[in-house]
Amino acid sequence: MPATRFTAHADYGVGIGLRIPHYQHILERKPVVDWFEIISENYMVDGGRPLHVLDQILERYRVVQHGVSMYFGNTARPNRDHLRKLKRLTKRTQTPWVSDHLCWGSVDGRYTHDLLPMPYTWEAIETTARNIREVQDFLELPVAVENLSSYAEFHASEMNEWQFLCEVVERADCGILLDVNNIYVSSQNHTFDPLDYVNAVPAGRVAQIHIAGHSRHERFILDTHDHPVIDPVWKIYKRAIERCGRTATLLEWDDRIPSFDEVHREALKATKYLPDAKTRAAA
Amino acid sequence: MPRLAPPRKPARLGQIQRLMSQALMHRLTRSEGMQRTNAVTAAQIIKPNDRLTSFDRLEIYNQQYWWRLLGCFNDDFRGVRAVIGERKFDRLAVEYLEAHGSTSWSLRNLGQDLPAFLKKHPKLTAPHTALALEMAQVEWAKIVAFDTGALPVIDPQKIVKRDPAKLCIKLQPYVMLLKLRHPIDQLLKKMREANPETGSVSNAVSATRRRASRTLRAKPCAEPIFLAVHRVDFSVYYKRLEPEAFKLLSALREGDTLADACARGFTRSRLRGDAAAAKIGEWFNVWTRLGWLAR
Repeated sequence: MPATRFTAHADYGVGIGLRIPHYQHILERKPVVDWFEIISENYMVDGGRPLHVLDQILERYRVVQHGVSMYFGNTARPNRDHLRKLKRLTKRTQTPWVSDHLCWGSVDGRYTHDLLPMPYTWEAIETTARNIREVQDFLELPVAVENLSSYAEFHASEMNEWQFLCEVVERADCGILLDVNNIYVSSQNHTFDPLDYVNAVPAGRVAQIHIAGHSRHERFILDTHDHPVIDPVWKIYKRAIERCGRTATLLEWDDRIPSFDEVHREALKATKYLPDAKTRAAA
Repeated sequence: MPRLAPPRKPARLGQIQRLMSQALMHRLTRSEGMQRTNAVTAAQIIKPNDRLTSFDRLEIYNQQYWWRLLGCFNDDFRGVRAVIGERKFDRLAVEYLEAHGSTSWSLRNLGQDLPAFLKKHPKLTAPHTALALEMAQVEWAKIVAFDTGALPVIDPQKIVKRDPAKLCIKLQPYVMLLKLRHPIDQLLKKMREANPETGSVSNAVSATRRRASRTLRAKPCAEPIFLAVHRVDFSVYYKRLEPEAFKLLSALREGDTLADACARGFTRSRLRGDAAAAKIGEWFNVWTRLGWLAR
């Protein structure tokens, strides 16, 4: 699925998350990178350095927007002020699609700033799909929803996570940002086979894949994005690519961020699994 | 923790979200664990597994909530932390965040109510109350100066022949004017040299809470310091102003005409006539160069 309606028919290879410690390297050395993913909220401001840097990045690179606070699973409808700012940014970046998480995060106007897991209920499916449709309509762009890493399951759940994801994306008619590290983390925390998850996902809707590292604690795994991708996650990625074909792939590295070259090298390991990869190999 | 029986009927989405968010926003214990009062909510909504109780699982989110907000608050107010010390700052942060949790999708505005909160709760920063308050005001001003939008700058050639009695000039919204008693600008420069900033959000979680410490102290100055917190080439700077310049800029911000602002600037000033006019010319040259004056 190299280019689908969920990616606005754009073909993207392997990208990395744009992070502040790498700004100088990128702007000065201008490395060859397929694309950068930005955290939308970091640039939804009215002025100053964030937008100045972004404009310089946009002169040379393709950028895709990824959000962390749309909270599709909130019972409340999407915040209009947030949507207006997000849309203004999409005009600036020309992002072919926008992604955010299959989660909730605020109640009665109080924000947790976390990606909180959904109870997998029919009621939650209806609410979440309604919100995703509303966001897609407002932004006039395809939306891809990302599966979470989670540390809790609800008594109220009426199905498993991938059944919930499939129902939501069908009803919202949206894409999926399949985070294979998140699948691994949740599979360890909730004891399921990660390949069951990957095999159940509607391949035609997968717009993008995230890869990342995590931290293993004694009794659970935390999605810290501060390590290289481990082999079991590459195995899930391989299976996802077998099912979905060439798919825009992005490495997230958010904490204890190493040099740009190290992050880029780690991301480019994905090219080994991508068919018809046009991505340039690391020098 | 004791395990309670799950409810017989599946809870509704809104009810689960309300219960869980209330639990997450309960402050942590001294040892940074979850309060035992959340055990009922945990058992009511969250399944245990073979390694973690419902309580343990909810506690992960409770910790993440506090560590994320405290981390952000700490990054934004490192100066306040350095003034009052780590332990007092931790207490202040929890008290403040309980009273003023985030009401925005952006963490940028998390500390906007801190100066007002500190005025209302002086004990939280005693015995460094005045210094901590001014530090909070300047640190909030830095946030505003960093990424607030800019208005189109004025073209001096176009306004030179306009009647000052009718001419209104705006001050860029990212220029923050503060009257202080302590040399906060110097303290923050010292701190920045020792501790660079980052400033972004992501969806990663923290395995631990981040900390940073350095002590900052200063005695009040004999004369007030008039400070502008502003930005040039996308970096935040501090600029000390003469009292008359401060008053003039404040008057422009309030919407006075140029003539009225100049008159207010020199009320009770020893500078008069040509000396005042020369000063005004000098200041406007600098402010125009810095891009502070807008249409």
